[in-house]
Amino acid sequence: MDDTRLQVLRGAYDSIARRGMAKTTVDDVAAASGVSRATIYRLFPGGKEELLRDTVGWEMDRFFLQLGQELGDAADFPEFLERALPLARRELREHEVLQKVLETEPDRLNALITVQQHRVIGAIAAYFLPLLERDRDAGHIDPTADLPRCAEYVARLSLSLIASPGRHDLGDPAEVRRLVRRELLGGVWS
Amino acid sequence: MTLAVSAPAPVDVRAREAVLTCIGRFGLAKTTIDDIAREAGCSRATLYRYFDGKPEIVRSAVVAEHERVAGVVVAAGRAAATFGDAVVAAVVAGARELRGHDALQFLLAHEPEAVLGHLAFGPGDRLLIAVGDAIAPAFDRWLTQGDAIRAGEWLARVVRSYVLMPHPPIDFTDPTAARVFLEQFVIPGLESR
Repeated sequence: MDDTRLQVLRGAYDSIARRGMAKTTVDDVAAASGVSRATIYRLFPGGKEELLRDTVGWEMDRFFLQLGQELGDAADFPEFLERALPLARRELREHEVLQKVLETEPDRLNALITVQQHRVIGAIAAYFLPLLERDRDAGHIDPTADLPRCAEYVARLSLSLIASPGRHDLGDPAEVRRLVRRELLGGVWS
Repeated sequence: MTLAVSAPAPVDVRAREAVLTCIGRFGLAKTTIDDIAREAGCSRATLYRYFDGKPEIVRSAVVAEHERVAGVVVAAGRAAATFGDAVVAAVVAGARELRGHDALQFLLAHEPEAVLGHLAFGPGDRLLIAVGDAIAPAFDRWLTQGDAIRAGEWLARVVRSYVLMPHPPIDFTDPTAARVFLEQFVIPGLESR
């Protein structure tokens, strides 16, 4: 991503963190990022709405990228997920800007997250695929299994679990182990 | 007695059906109490005797729809011969109800902020638990009660992600496609052990 675009997204993120999405204006973002209004409109022709949407998408990408870096290596994919799910859930709950905007502007934020979600699912699935291939090559997964589809399923349902765990306690290692080895991977991994 | 058969449905039932029809036609924001009264074939005053206003009619319709759809899903699952068949039948029935739901689809397409806040994060937790509990009886012939509730919640989660979110990679209203997918990825993880 080019530097100016990144600068604008950072400025927009800071402005949303300070005053929320409804009150953030293109002028605020220009001031927060040190980029002119004209340049912002050139980079985001849709103006404020496009800026908000892309900022939400950018922060979602950044969240999962950082998560991936913190996780490091695991012996196999189930072990990776067993570490990833509790960590992701904890970071999500501790994400101050997300929690604040969820409280003040939940409907608007949810609509933007939903629009961006399939792109993020694609990125997570792309991250999972080589881990699944490694386990297939090690004999844990049936060689005929449709791994891209499996990666997509695990990405979708992992995202679902960390956003809304329902009755599942992602702080309980035994529960996470059961979720990973049965609901998420029970069909393909042994 | 033919009287009971030909008598119109009670006002509250008609109001719930009317609000869904109106939302399917022009959305939630543009639907007024007058529209609902006209569609239900009664006066505003009559509606106000049963409901405090439009939000209460909407809430009441949502609760009734939740029960109705859960009923369809449970019946589909219970009619199946095996647990695998029950999961496929329940998911396909649920997907068809949601995809064919004019009011829901209008909102997802044109007023997503009216719906999505109820589906995600904390409100999503409550919804998944409620739907899971409601559809668990579809599976209680094959699973322990605890596992049936767990399976119900998981399938609600799968449907939320694949049927209600944009760009689904698979069409769960198609029984053949649904079966291939569910048999490979979902059903083995839900069986009682």
